[in-house]
Amino acid sequence: MASKASPSPSASRSGSLKDASMAKADESAPVSKEIVSVIESLKRHVVDERCVSIKERMDNNRHKLASITSHLQKLSKERRNSWINFADSSLDLLKKRQDDAIGMHSGIGTSSSDKDSDSDQEDSHASTAVLLGTSIPPGKNSVRPIRLPEVKKLPPYTTWIFLDRNQRMTEDQSVVGRRRIYYAQNDGEALICSDSEEENVDEEEEKKYFLESEDYIIRMAIKEAGFSDAVINSLAECFSRKADEVKARYESLTKEEKTSVDSLNVDSEASSLNCFLEKDLEAALDSFDNLFCRRCLVFDCRLHGCSQDLVFPAEKPPPLNRPDLDNLPCGEHCYRSVSKPEKVATDDSPELGDTKDNSVQPSSGSAGTRTSVRKKHTPCARKKAKPSQSESASSIVKNMSDSSDSEIEPQHTASTSHLSPSKTKLGGNGGVSQRNSKRVAERVLSCSKKRQKVVGSDSDSVASGSVLGGDGKLSSSPHKENEDANSSSQKHAKSRSRKRELSIQNLQGEARDGISSGMVTDPPGNNSDVTLRKDDCADGNSCEMALNDNLSWKAFEKSLFEKGVEIFGRNSCLIARNLLNGLKTCVEVFQFMTQGDKRLAYQAGDAANSLGDGYSKFEHQGNNEVRRRSKFLRRRGRVRRLKYSWKSTAYHSIRKRISERKDQPCRQYNPCGCQTACGKECPCHLNGTCCEKYCGCGDGSLGVPNQRGDNYECRNMKLLLRQQRRVLLGKSDVSGWGAFLKNSVVKNEYLGEYTGELISHREADKRGKIYDRENSSFLFNLNDQAGWFVLDAYRKGDKLKFANHSPDPNCYAKVIMVAGDHRVGIFAKERINSGEELFYDYRYEPDRAPAWARKPEATGSKKEEPSHPSGRAKKLA
Amino acid sequence: MARIPLGCEPVIGSLVPSKKRDYRVTNRLQEGKRPLYAVVFNFIDSRYFNVFATVGGNRVTVYQCLEGGVIAVLQSYVDEDCCGLDGISEALLEFSICFVDQKDESFYTVTWACNRDGSPFVVAGGINGIIRVIDAGHEKIDKSFVGHGDSVNEIRTQPLKPSLVVSASKDESVRLWNVHTGVCILIFAGAGGHRNEVLSVDFHPSDMYRIASCGMDNTVKIWSMKEFWPSVEKSFTWTDLPSKFPTKYVQFPVFIASVHSNYVDCNRWLGDFVLSKSVDNEIVLWEPRTKDQSPGEGTVDILQKYPVPECDIWFIKFSCDFHYNAAAIGNREGKIFVWELQTSPPSLIARLSHAQSKSPIRQTAMSFDGSTILSCCEDGTIWRWDAVSSSSSSSSSQV
Repeated sequence: MASKASPSPSASRSGSLKDASMAKADESAPVSKEIVSVIESLKRHVVDERCVSIKERMDNNRHKLASITSHLQKLSKERRNSWINFADSSLDLLKKRQDDAIGMHSGIGTSSSDKDSDSDQEDSHASTAVLLGTSIPPGKNSVRPIRLPEVKKLPPYTTWIFLDRNQRMTEDQSVVGRRRIYYAQNDGEALICSDSEEENVDEEEEKKYFLESEDYIIRMAIKEAGFSDAVINSLAECFSRKADEVKARYESLTKEEKTSVDSLNVDSEASSLNCFLEKDLEAALDSFDNLFCRRCLVFDCRLHGCSQDLVFPAEKPPPLNRPDLDNLPCGEHCYRSVSKPEKVATDDSPELGDTKDNSVQPSSGSAGTRTSVRKKHTPCARKKAKPSQSESASSIVKNMSDSSDSEIEPQHTASTSHLSPSKTKLGGNGGVSQRNSKRVAERVLSCSKKRQKVVGSDSDSVASGSVLGGDGKLSSSPHKENEDANSSSQKHAKSRSRKRELSIQNLQGEARDGISSGMVTDPPGNNSDVTLRKDDCADGNSCEMALNDNLSWKAFEKSLFEKGVEIFGRNSCLIARNLLNGLKTCVEVFQFMTQGDKRLAYQAGDAANSLGDGYSKFEHQGNNEVRRRSKFLRRRGRVRRLKYSWKSTAYHSIRKRISERKDQPCRQYNPCGCQTACGKECPCHLNGTCCEKYCGCGDGSLGVPNQRGDNYECRNMKLLLRQQRRVLLGKSDVSGWGAFLKNSVVKNEYLGEYTGELISHREADKRGKIYDRENSSFLFNLNDQAGWFVLDAYRKGDKLKFANHSPDPNCYAKVIMVAGDHRVGIFAKERINSGEELFYDYRYEPDRAPAWARKPEATGSKKEEPSHPSGRAKKLA
Repeated sequence: MARIPLGCEPVIGSLVPSKKRDYRVTNRLQEGKRPLYAVVFNFIDSRYFNVFATVGGNRVTVYQCLEGGVIAVLQSYVDEDCCGLDGISEALLEFSICFVDQKDESFYTVTWACNRDGSPFVVAGGINGIIRVIDAGHEKIDKSFVGHGDSVNEIRTQPLKPSLVVSASKDESVRLWNVHTGVCILIFAGAGGHRNEVLSVDFHPSDMYRIASCGMDNTVKIWSMKEFWPSVEKSFTWTDLPSKFPTKYVQFPVFIASVHSNYVDCNRWLGDFVLSKSVDNEIVLWEPRTKDQSPGEGTVDILQKYPVPECDIWFIKFSCDFHYNAAAIGNREGKIFVWELQTSPPSLIARLSHAQSKSPIRQTAMSFDGSTILSCCEDGTIWRWDAVSSSSSSSSSQV
C-alpha cells in the first residue's frame, strides 16, 4: 500500500525498519542484546530474501516480456511489408511526407535557414534547424492544417446500466465511509479533499494474520534464543503486536509443525467424490429456498435479497399431466414397451382375473382383483379429497392419502389402459410438498399409530389374499431374466400378495374413516435397507435384485424421484424425462417405483404383524431426525428468516415489506372489491397501492386483466404488468438529456417506472453530497411510508431518469405499493402528444432545491450551474 | 494505509543516477499556447517508428524525428469548433442550445492505430468525449466515435490487433472500439466499474483479453474480455451501421487493486506486472494475484517503487520504450526521470533538466530504442532529448 504517512518513498523504506529498531534500542535495554541482534539478523535475512525473490521474479518477467516485444516487433515489420505489397499503388501521404522531410533535411543539412515562425527559435542549445512545413506548398513554412469537421457533442452523462426493476444497493456500491477526492475544475490541479465531516476511514483492519515472514522470525528467533518472555517481548515489539499474540502464534506454530507431518498422509485420501450426484437433494433445494425469490421468480433477486420468508400456499397445483401421451411409450426405454412382451407371455391372466376369484392362483388374477377393489373405493377417495382442500391441515393429510392411492395406479395402466380416467384424477392430488409433510410429521405420526392398529387388524383378515404375479411381471426389468422372474414369483407369491392386499386394505380403511396413513411420507430410499433386511430374504432373486437396484440409485436420484412423484404423479415417463434425464431410463424409474411400493407394503405388513406401532414410530423418528438436522443447517449462518406455521394459508395476508428486518409490522393489504375498472374511488388507488391478484377488478390471474372494452380495463395494474409507454431518450430542449414520449397519451395514463438502486437515507445523504458537486441528482425519495429507502438512478436506472424538472410539468410521479414493494410510477398529468418532452416536478424540499430548480423557468443547463446547494436535493413524489 | 508488513517490502530505487546513458536537449518547439497533453511514438508500424503525434487544444500534429535533433512537421489537424459562434448574439444562442454545450475541443490523448489494410491511423480524444479517428495515410478524418458521455482521458491501442483501441473516460466507463469498422464493442462499466473518472487504461502486451484501467476512484481494475471475445471477433466483420452493433457491458472486473490512496492517473502493464502511479511522487510496480475461484478478489504484491520527486499533481503520464527497458516521466517542474524498469533494484538512468524547462510535463514519449525522449509541457512546448553517452549513432531513431 502506498503509505500516506511517508511522503518520500526513500524515507519510508528506511523509516519502517529504523523506527522499529530505534524503538527497540530504547526499550530493550534490559533485554539482552543478544536477542535483539538475533532478531535483527533474522529480519535482515527476511528482507534480503525478499529482494532476491523480487529480483528473480523481475528476471522471469523480463524474459517473458522480451519474447513478447520481439514478437510485437516482428508484427510491426510485417505490417510495413504487407502495406508495401498491398498498397504501393495507393497513396500513403504519411509516407510521402516522411520521405519529403528526409529529402529536405538532407538537402538543407544543418543550415538553419528554414525556420518556422510558429516555433520560437530562441533555443540556442540546438544547433540544428527545426524543419517544419515540409512539402505541400514548399517555400511556406507551416503545414496547412487539415480541418476535422465538427461533430455534435453528446450532453454529458455518466455511463449507466439499464434496470427494468429496482435493485437493492449491494454493499460494494456504498459510498459511506469512503474518502472521495475532488478537483476543482476551475483551479485545474488543486486537490480538494472531501468533506471534513466525512467519518474517518476505519483504520482498524488489525493485522490479524501472521505473515510467513513473521512466522519464520518467530520460529527462528525462539530456536536460537530460546523460549522466554524477553524473546517474546522483543518479538512483539518488532512486529508491533501484543506479546500474548506472539506467544499464541508460536504455540500454534509448534502444533502445526507436529500435525503437518501427519496431515501429509491424510491429505491424499480426501476429496475425490464431489460429483453433484453425491449431494443431497435437500442441499440443492436449500440453495433454491434461499436464493430463489418467490416474488420475482428469479434467482439472486437484487431487490428482495436472499433468505426470504417462505410461504407455502395451501393450494397445491395438481401434478402435471399429459393425458394425450399417457398411452404412448415415451422412448425406447419406456416401461410400456418393455413390459409388453411380458404381458403377452402372461396373456391369459386378465381373463382369469375377471373371475374375481379369491383363491390362490399362482399365475393370474392380480390385475383383476385389484382393479375391482380399486374401482370400488376410488370414488369415495375422490369425493373425500375434494372438499378437504379448504382446510389445509386435513387436506395435506388427504393429499398424502391420495398419493398413496396413486401409487398403485401405474401398474394398472400398464396392464389395463381403461383405468386411465381415474388415474388422471387421482394422480392429480398426489403431489405433497415435502415441506408440508415435515410440518405435519407429528400429526402424521400420531395418526399413523392409530392407523397401524387398523392395518394390523385388517391385514390379518386378508392375509390369505389371492393376488400374485402382477408385481413380478411388472417389476421385471430387461436385465432380469425371465426365468428368474418365473421361478421367484412362485416362491414369493404368498408374501407378495399379502402385501398388496395390505395396501389395498389400507386404502379402503382410509377412505372409510379418513385417517391418513403415515407410511406414504417415508421416502423409499430411507427405509429400504431396514425393511429389506427385515424381510428375511425369502423372496430370493428378485428381492436381491431389488436391493441391488436400490443401491445403484444415488441419494440424489432418489430424492429427485420423490420430487418427480410430487410433480408428475406416478408417471415414470415424465419423471425420467424431466428429472432424471441421462441418469435413469423410464424402465429403471418404473422399476424403482414399483419396488418402492413393494417395500412400503412389506413395511406395512411387517409393522402390523411383527413390530406393530413401535416399528413405524422408529421409521418416523428417523425421518424427522434427518429433516430436523438439515433444517437446522439451513437456518444457521443465514440471515434472519421468519418461520410460518403450516397453518398460514393465503400468502397476501402475511406479506412483509422489505423493511421487515426492523420488525415493523406491515399494514395489511386489502384487495379492492371493484367489479369493473378501478376508477378514482378504488380503495387501492386511494391507498397508493396497485390492484392485484385478489382484487375484484382482475379475473384472479396475474395476467392482463380482462379487457372487455376500454372501460373494463383496470388501469391501476399497469405498473404491476409493466405496460409502459415507449419513452425515447434525446437531447432536451431545456438542458442536457431529456425523455420524450413516442406515442401520445391521455391524462393519467401510466408512462413508465422510475427505477434505480434502493439506498438508505444515510447512503443517500452521502451520495447527495457527491451529486451536488456534479449538479445532477437522480435521488428520489420514496415517501415516508416507504420509510427506509431512497431511489437512486445515477448509475442504474431507466430512461425516465432523464426527464427534466419543470415547475409546470406534464407528468407527475407517484409512489405506489406494488406487490409489497414501493415503486415510482410516472403518469401523464395531461394529454401529451407524441414526441413531446416529459417533465415532472421534482418537488424538491423548498430550501433544498438546487438553484436551477428554483428559477421560474429552467433555462440554463443544470450542469453548468455554478453554485452548489448546501442541502441534499431529493426528488419527492 | 497500514504499515508495510515485514517480508513484503518493495524494493525502492535510488535517486542517484547511474549515468548509464545521458541525454541532451537537441530541440525544442513551441506548438501553440495551449497545453500539450499527450505525445506518442508510432510503435505499430516499423516504417513510422520515428513518427510521433502530439495533441493539445483543438490540434493534432504529426511530426517526424530526423537526425541531428531535427523535428519535421508532417501533418496537422484542427478540430472545427464553435469559435465561429462568437459573433452570434445571446438571443440566437437560446434557440440553438445544442451549441451551448459545445466547448472548444481540447484533446487529452492520442494513440496510433491502423485499420486492417495497415493504413496508419491517429486516434485522439478529449474534453468533448468524441474520439477522432484520423487516417494519416490519406490525411482525412476517417471516423468519429460518439458515445462517451464525457471527456476522454486516455486512448490506447492493442499491440497485437492494432485496429482495437480502448478509451478511458470521465463518464466512468472504459470502452473498446474497432477503428476498422467503427463499432463500440464493449463497455467496461456498471456494478463493478469505476466510481469516478477513469484516467488511464492499457492493454496487456500478450494476453489479448486483459486490460487494466485506473482512475479517480483510487483503484486499478483489471478486466477480462474473454467471455466477450466472440463480440470482438464479430466487430471485425461488421458491415451494418456501427450503431446497430450489439455493444455489451462488462460489469465486473476480474481484479480490483487498491494500491494507491489518491487518484491513479497512469497505469501500464509490464509483462504480467502493473506499473501505476498516483500523486505520491512515485511509480509503483506490483503484481496482481487473482484468485480464479472468486473473481474481483485477490492480493497485490508491491514489488518495486520508482521515486519521482515533485510529481504530486495528477494527469502526468509516463511512457516506456518498445521493449519496456526504461520509462520516462516528467514532473511538475519540467524535469524528466528516466528509470531502468526491469532491474532490481531499479536504477535511475538519468535525471534530465534544463534551465528553461520549468513547466509541468504532462507526458513523455520514448522512441523505439529509448534513445530519444520527447516531452510535452503545459506551456505548449515540445522538448527533444537525445541520448549521447554510449554512441552517437544511436541518437538517431530512424529505423
